[in-house]
Amino acid sequence: MAQVRLSGIAKTFGKVTALDAMDLVIDDGELVCLLGPSGSGKSTLLRIIGGFEMPSEGTIAIDGVDVTDLPPEQRPTAMVFQSHALWSHMTVFGNVAFGLKLRHLPKAEIRDRVERVLDLVGLSGYGARLPSQLSGGQQQRVALARSLVIEPKILLLDEPFASLDQHLRERLRDEVRDIQQRLGITAVFVTHGQDEALAISDRIVVLADGRMQQVGRPGEIYAEPKTAFVAGFIGAMNMLDGTLADGEILASGLRLPAEGSGLARLAIRPEDISLTEPEEGRTMTVRRMIDFGAHVVIDGKLADGTHLRIQTDKAIRVSQGEQIGICVESWTVFTDGDEPRRYRSDTVRSFRGARYA
Amino acid sequence: MVTVSHPRAEGGRLSGLLLVALPVVLLIWLVLWPVLQAFVGTLYFPGKGFSAASYVYFFSDAYSLRNLWLTLWVTALTSALRVAFAMPIAIYLRFRKGSIAAFVQSLALFPMFVPSVLVAYAFIRVLGPNGIIDTLLVAVHLPKLPSPYLAPAGPIIGLVWEGLPLTLLLLLSGLGRVSTASVEAARDLGAKGWTIFTRIILPRIQSSIIVALAFNVLGLFSAFTLPYLLGPASPEMMGPYMQRTFSDNADPLNATTQAVITFAFCAAFGVIYVRAIAKGRKGPA
Repeated sequence: MAQVRLSGIAKTFGKVTALDAMDLVIDDGELVCLLGPSGSGKSTLLRIIGGFEMPSEGTIAIDGVDVTDLPPEQRPTAMVFQSHALWSHMTVFGNVAFGLKLRHLPKAEIRDRVERVLDLVGLSGYGARLPSQLSGGQQQRVALARSLVIEPKILLLDEPFASLDQHLRERLRDEVRDIQQRLGITAVFVTHGQDEALAISDRIVVLADGRMQQVGRPGEIYAEPKTAFVAGFIGAMNMLDGTLADGEILASGLRLPAEGSGLARLAIRPEDISLTEPEEGRTMTVRRMIDFGAHVVIDGKLADGTHLRIQTDKAIRVSQGEQIGICVESWTVFTDGDEPRRYRSDTVRSFRGARYA
Repeated sequence: MVTVSHPRAEGGRLSGLLLVALPVVLLIWLVLWPVLQAFVGTLYFPGKGFSAASYVYFFSDAYSLRNLWLTLWVTALTSALRVAFAMPIAIYLRFRKGSIAAFVQSLALFPMFVPSVLVAYAFIRVLGPNGIIDTLLVAVHLPKLPSPYLAPAGPIIGLVWEGLPLTLLLLLSGLGRVSTASVEAARDLGAKGWTIFTRIILPRIQSSIIVALAFNVLGLFSAFTLPYLLGPASPEMMGPYMQRTFSDNADPLNATTQAVITFAFCAAFGVIYVRAIAKGRKGPA
């Protein structure tokens, strides 16, 4: 059992508030991603969990034990750093065995545990090499092995794959997820990559300006964003400024059914727009078409020049300047101070309060 | 086999050589040539032939050997003390930010801007006989302490104070290569202060320490002002000894011999310095 409980965690640097009163419970064996743009406070929160920063307010408990005032070396956590932070004067074996040597374990046990963890991360036989003789991906695997070998209760990963190329990043994140699930270890993963967060998390914590915007499962956050920020940050989204009146929202010449009145933001996923015959209030001019192979993205302009993106079938072909009709199948309307309202064209009714299944 | 010439690469090589040409010419003209002249001048005498008599005299003269020995141990101790004092300050400055760190840094670098003569007279006013310390001790009816003035401790204290900034800057540049994350990673695995210093920091700044020691030795071996003003009259360090032999004793041959011997010791540390630099350029420490 390794549960992390954050209660009222806040952090200020001088007059700047990096984190503002956060409450969060991370359950045993769960992988939680802290996701947000630069400066959102995600790394600060991770460093507070790891003991590298002291919170200005609030407490942290791991398995019910208050660790708020404990330094990193006394916490049951281990951190994988963005920059690998390997010790270049030590071999791979030396790097991985460092934590075990500090615990004064017998040499045979150290050798056995290091070999097992190197095998786990796919680096058997690399023990004698120096970090400079390894690729970026292999170095990050060593950093992961170094953290795992001491069998921490909580594994903390601070944008561990940020310096790697896209292909390697995808492969390593899958490997990390496999290892985390196999070991059943609780993990907190910081990233600013939404794809990464959606791909590996049990739950995602979306942060912005030091505040928690939403906590939920990846599908839930994608389908039911609670704020306009989350809607715009997670996945591709068309965000249009509009006005609510007479049971409709009018945004950039686009008219869709919606309740309420006043200013609002209209959010439409590119995949929730299909092509149809052009008609008044449902027309767009094609700027360009991007063929991704598995699907096609059409980038177009609405009546007032606002950009709109459509993700559609790979067989569709349109040309630049062509007028196309659009049919919005589902949309969300955000108004200040209210819960977001979600609509579907087949029912055209609000299903606010409906839960994502 | 066909060889292809690369005019651009050759041009680059030529401009590189031109860049180093001036310093190399100056080095040969102002350092190596005088050294060679001095060396030959102490061994070859026109009309008389070769003789190593001045070297035999130096290494058989008890006073000269005492001077050399004093210079050696004062240099070794001062260098070690400079590194020992500068290291904690450098570590503090490397891993701490803020106004206090900035203040400590300015305080530590301050001696760099104070001429040696002022340091010597300030030292005499504070630690010399009837100086501020003595006056304070007498004021509270305590006995005077033996003054380090005109004893080996005098130049050591002065030289440590004077050389601290350069040592600090050299160590700081080495510590710049130790990332905060690598220290945090060690802490995360359970390492504490001393373990982090000996196992993580020290191995990675070895070349900087060697460079700092080599720089210190080179400067200290030929130090003059502070040993002359604060040091003992007998034995004396090589700097004042050379000067006195040359002007007071009007004995240029023995003064030059002392200079060549001093240069030989410095050159040995120069080689260590060059090797450390070459090692540092090959890869991370």
